[in-house]
Amino acid sequence: MTEPRFDELIHPSTRLSLVATLTAADWAEFGYLKEQLGLSDSALSKQLTTLEEAGYVTTERRLSGTRRKVRARLTDAGRDAFDGHIAALQEIITEAGAARRSEG
Amino acid sequence: MDGIAPEEALTALDAADRARRQVTEEVGLPRGYWWAMAAGWLVLGGLGSEAPSWVAGMATATFGAAHAALASRLLDGRRRTGRLQVSRAVAGHRVPLVVVGMLVGLVAVTVGAALALDADGADHAALWAAVLVAAIVGFGGPDILRVLRRWARA
Repeated sequence: MTEPRFDELIHPSTRLSLVATLTAADWAEFGYLKEQLGLSDSALSKQLTTLEEAGYVTTERRLSGTRRKVRARLTDAGRDAFDGHIAALQEIITEAGAARRSEG
Repeated sequence: MDGIAPEEALTALDAADRARRQVTEEVGLPRGYWWAMAAGWLVLGGLGSEAPSWVAGMATATFGAAHAALASRLLDGRRRTGRLQVSRAVAGHRVPLVVVGMLVGLVAVTVGAALALDADGADHAALWAAVLVAAIVGFGGPDILRVLRRWARA
């Protein structure tokens, strides 16, 4: 069972969706992530850089034909942080439900 | 964690779930697989109808071997596009079974259609049955697989 651990870095909605997408994939290309999340190149780059600096994501540049493509993948630390964050969110909801029941 | 309202937590969980489900939609086989399968179906139907049985037998064995070689890499459904690779946990273990079951079903449809056309007195019944199923595979393969995956929860 994952220990609940709220993660301020992952919590903003764009970053949460980005990390959630990467948890379901071994890797994803920059173009795919940009399309799914509806972000501009610069906005996605910024989010990936933030996550990369935290050690949650790694990126690699690959040559595809004549074009360079960027692939992002989640690190083990990123996966642990995401699982902990999801557990923390679930805990918040569970505790709120318990509090509501005890009041009622 | 203080200061996060349950509603906000719920919204965040929904967003994460939606993002993961979008990746699940990417499980499948590359478009080229379905066109190659349709082409193979046509060729085998043509040979079954026009060529000596040993030629049709050899072609079927070759097609089966080529498919088996491809299948080991593609049938897990994780490489539908070159833009991402779906994780093994998300793709599940039942996708190859669903694809193989679908192909077996299509073989049955081909045989059934050929028998029906033959009983109706049609010329080249095997070829026309193959044309019918090749069209189904080529145009509808991805959608049929999507529906079957949903039914099989794979």
